[in-house]
Amino acid sequence: MKTLLILTVANVKSLVRDRAALFWTIFFPVMFVFLFGWIFGGSGSSKISVGFVDQDGTAASAGVKQAFGEVTLLNLKVGSLDDEKAAMQHGDVSAVIVIPKGLQAAVAAKSAVAIQLYADPAKSQTAQVVQGVVAQIANGFNLQLAGGTVLVTVSSLTLQSTNISDVAYLVPSILAMALMQLGVFAAIPLVQQREKGILKRIGATPLPRWKLVGSNVLLRLIVALVDAVVILGIGLIFFNVQIVGNLLAVVGLVLLGAASFLALGFMLASFLKTEEQATGVVQVVQMPMMFLSGIFFQFDFLPGFLKTVGMAMPLTYLGDAFRQVMVNGTQVAPLAVDVAVLTGWLVVCMAISARSFRWE
Amino acid sequence: MTQSGAPVIRVTDLKKYYGDVKAVDGVSFEVARGEVFGMLGPNGAGKTTTIEVLEGLRPPESGTVEVLGLDVCNHPQAIKERIGVQLQSVSLYPRLTVTELLDLFGSFFRHHVPTQQLIDAVDLGERADARSMNLSGGQQQRLSIALALVNDPELVFLDEPTTGLDPQARRSLWDLVKGLQAKGKTVMLTTHYMEEAAELCDRVAIMDHGRILEMGTVPELIGRRFKERAVFFDSSPALATEALSKLVGVTRAAQEQGQTVLYSKDIPGTIGALLAMADELSIEPRNLGIRQATLEDVFLDLTGRALRD
Repeated sequence: MKTLLILTVANVKSLVRDRAALFWTIFFPVMFVFLFGWIFGGSGSSKISVGFVDQDGTAASAGVKQAFGEVTLLNLKVGSLDDEKAAMQHGDVSAVIVIPKGLQAAVAAKSAVAIQLYADPAKSQTAQVVQGVVAQIANGFNLQLAGGTVLVTVSSLTLQSTNISDVAYLVPSILAMALMQLGVFAAIPLVQQREKGILKRIGATPLPRWKLVGSNVLLRLIVALVDAVVILGIGLIFFNVQIVGNLLAVVGLVLLGAASFLALGFMLASFLKTEEQATGVVQVVQMPMMFLSGIFFQFDFLPGFLKTVGMAMPLTYLGDAFRQVMVNGTQVAPLAVDVAVLTGWLVVCMAISARSFRWE
Repeated sequence: MTQSGAPVIRVTDLKKYYGDVKAVDGVSFEVARGEVFGMLGPNGAGKTTTIEVLEGLRPPESGTVEVLGLDVCNHPQAIKERIGVQLQSVSLYPRLTVTELLDLFGSFFRHHVPTQQLIDAVDLGERADARSMNLSGGQQQRLSIALALVNDPELVFLDEPTTGLDPQARRSLWDLVKGLQAKGKTVMLTTHYMEEAAELCDRVAIMDHGRILEMGTVPELIGRRFKERAVFFDSSPALATEALSKLVGVTRAAQEQGQTVLYSKDIPGTIGALLAMADELSIEPRNLGIRQATLEDVFLDLTGRALRD
């Protein structure tokens, strides 16, 4: 146990003295949090501006307008269709709701009518919220018409809306990304140490191999926890992203996530021979994961085949699990599935590494 | 424990193949306690493979290998506790200091020598707090030897300890190895420098293509093949090898790195005949000299090629 500790301390020293490694493992994700925090920071808690176009101009359409007006989340800007579409293209409003001509007539005839909604899928959070609001109000009217009951209840809207801000979405996602990189990048020093003969030299001492592996794992898990504290701390202090979930579950997921990706890193190191190879392959593995796992934008907005690719990536599930546990985010998969997928990756990668890892 | 007198290393018919390559092809030798034993041979001769089997880093294909009286296949851990290992061209954790590395490696062993003592032994006191990446080649090699001594081993393996070092650093490393022997440690080293083998080793095995061609003390190896001494001088086209080989006492004439070497049983006779022959041609042999045959000559004679080509 003492040897394991001494070896881990040696590993920590080696990491801390290696500025490049330190940058990638700690400062890079921190930079991301600040960068994206500042980009998306404003939209978090403020109202969403929505263009409202009334082409019907009847009592019925006025009632709909009133219903939207009562939604505290929305800031209605009334205008013509062309004006409001232009406003949306300029970014002044996030969506445009259009009440088509003939609403009152259709309601009277009890025939169907479609309220149109222009939304920008690139602004995923906003689009979802507005879609939810519109669906809810339309639903309310339908109820009113069918059963003759009273107006829409606004309270149900806040419950229904998946109201997490872009920053709240990003902070857990970036932590997931940081752990992914921490694990995958671990392949590089391993290959380095093998190439330089360090692994072989230690193999000539009585040190059991599990301690050598164990100290590497321990080092990365410590860094994972440091990453978590730093990233979540910055989220809380600078961008007011509160962690609402169970802290123990958060710690557990951080460790599971780090272990899963570390196993992936070990597996990569098993098949890579030179440091140059490792540096290249690690990028090839981590880049697509970074962009296809719903880290920077919501998963649902990927085109079909990329979504399938994304669904096969473990980072998707770690990010999803983090968002569910930390900020009550919408789920890509149930938490149990996330945990199962991560555990599966861990076991499979570990088994392959155990079989294929070469010490020299 | 090994009884005194019993060999520290006993290798019988060791074979190690990599696919079709017979890296070590039936090697047998013994090393006695307190001996400095050298394996001399060109790159790829199988020296490193042999030494790494002895260190427990590679399993042998076949044959028996005993180190300190223990079988390497059955007791690798017990052996590793008691041997010191210096591998060829290893750079250690580059960002740890000399002191940190010695402390770290010491922690791998049940018994270990105080770090300060090791630093003094290899004369790295001034560089104790330097990171290993900032050491010179000779200093790294001394550190590497200090690391091989952390557990106060009975048997030390040094794999090409002076390759790539300048002559001064090489000398200081030789002194270190002699110091080990003076302390009664057994040393097995590999080298492709014949002067190193001659300087350090009690006994030498000459290895090529995975086999030991000849083994013994340096004078034995030379005496076994060369009863004669050699006359040498800068080669000159006028003095043809064929004509020279017929001079008095000459057993063999050879061209070696720009010099003509005449192996002779009758040095005065040969020199007289050589000078007479040169006089007739009205030339003067340049840099004329006499020497004993060397390990290099032995190797050349055994393999038909020079050690470093």
